[in-house]
Amino acid sequence: MKKYTLYPGCVMQTEQYGYELSIREVFPVLGVELVDVENFSCCGEPVKSINQLLTLYLSARNLAIAEQQGFDLFVPCSVCHFALSECKNILDNDGGMRSRVNEMLASEDLEYKGKVGVVHTVDLLYDHVGVKEIKKHVKKPLKGLKIASHYGCHLVRPSEIGRPVDSENPMKIEAVLEALGAETMDYAEKLDCCGGLLLVNLPESALTKTGQKLQAVEEHGFDGLVTVCPWCQRMFDSRQKKAGETVAAKLEVPVFYLTQLLGLAFGLDERKLGLDLNLSPVDKLKV
Amino acid sequence: MSIKDLTSMAEAQVELREEINNRLLRLQNELSDYCFQCAKCTSGCEAHKLLELEPHKIMALLKRGLIDEMVNSDVIWTCMSCFKCRERCPQKVSPVDVLFALKNLAVMGGKQIPGNYTSMLQSILSMGLIQDVQEVQTRDMKTRRREDLGLPRVSKPKDASKFQMVLTKLAVEKV
Ligand code: SF4
Ligand code: SF4
Repeated sequence: MKKYTLYPGCVMQTEQYGYELSIREVFPVLGVELVDVENFSCCGEPVKSINQLLTLYLSARNLAIAEQQGFDLFVPCSVCHFALSECKNILDNDGGMRSRVNEMLASEDLEYKGKVGVVHTVDLLYDHVGVKEIKKHVKKPLKGLKIASHYGCHLVRPSEIGRPVDSENPMKIEAVLEALGAETMDYAEKLDCCGGLLLVNLPESALTKTGQKLQAVEEHGFDGLVTVCPWCQRMFDSRQKKAGETVAAKLEVPVFYLTQLLGLAFGLDERKLGLDLNLSPVDKLKV
Repeated sequence: MSIKDLTSMAEAQVELREEINNRLLRLQNELSDYCFQCAKCTSGCEAHKLLELEPHKIMALLKRGLIDEMVNSDVIWTCMSCFKCRERCPQKVSPVDVLFALKNLAVMGGKQIPGNYTSMLQSILSMGLIQDVQEVQTRDMKTRRREDLGLPRVSKPKDASKFQMVLTKLAVEKV
């Protein structure tokens, strides 16, 4: 068993329980042990528009806590993963900023040393576990299902700070889906934004973005959409009805976390994967 | 410590405001040197079609020194943080980060913060997370709490007062 510290962020552990449940079910099957740690906080990215320094401090604080464990940090939320990667990038290259941040961290008896690696669901699956290992556990292949991949902006860009996938033509989610027996297909709107970060101040526009992408997925004839970020899922799944109302369309796109599809293909219990919590019509798909 | 301390940074924050102003002036110079108005940022901008955000135009106005006008405009709050402009700019200008800086400056200048940012910030201050633990509905309308699902306790700052103290310091100190 390889160990990783789990960084739950805010959105996953306060409302997107389907992601957390499926992560906790699926990774042990793949030989990955997750270690829970107290004392984490928000990564700071959601309030970067208000105060960028607050964002940097909060990210550094979480990295410093993770360092005390000595395992790499598994960050399933793409927004958190971006914030922590950006923070690492700044503090590892700017000694002045690092010592100033460390001065503040000292009041919580913390120090950022730059020793912890940060991984996301997608590279944990594709690069660390590997498609070969995933295939070994497939008991109920997702035969005949054509699934659209949504990578999400924060996972994909910017490449200069190091992202787990290619910035213009990411294919790792497709590779995992194919290992599960599903069909994949490229589509023009694949890299379009879910609108999630705009929900806080311009909800109508945010939901329009969500609705437009779901319409495109429907028009392309996909059976479902897969996400790897709690911000994206809360738009495409939790708010699909509202998004449909916003773009004046009846949307019926089953939306899953990638880890939920893994669990289904592994033959795990639907409830344990939190599938009853998906609000989109996931029952439409009989796996 | 209140939201006001952390956002408007009160009157005592002249120094910090100056620092930000200086940073923006530097930015203006850098933009003048680097941004050659190719508009590649705008061509991929996720907020362009829907909300008429044109990052290259904002860069052009900043180059001409219209910083206050931009700080006080609503359009800077339409960015979706998709990072396409940062990825694709051939000159390594990062319009998205320029927008973050403008929004920070607007907040510091006491401009009213749009949307629910204030409640997120309040929640970070009080419990370290952008929102408290939620009850959720299943597809067949049953209510589920985190603990019903067998999930462990949430991870949040153990010593809330120490955590708040640092955030207060962060608001009053220059970083
Ligand atoms: S892509 Fe870069 S150089 Fe081109 S207009 Fe935008 S900021 Fe300027
Ligand atoms: S980050 Fe903002 S400004 Fe840049 S392309 Fe995306 S929406 Fe447009």
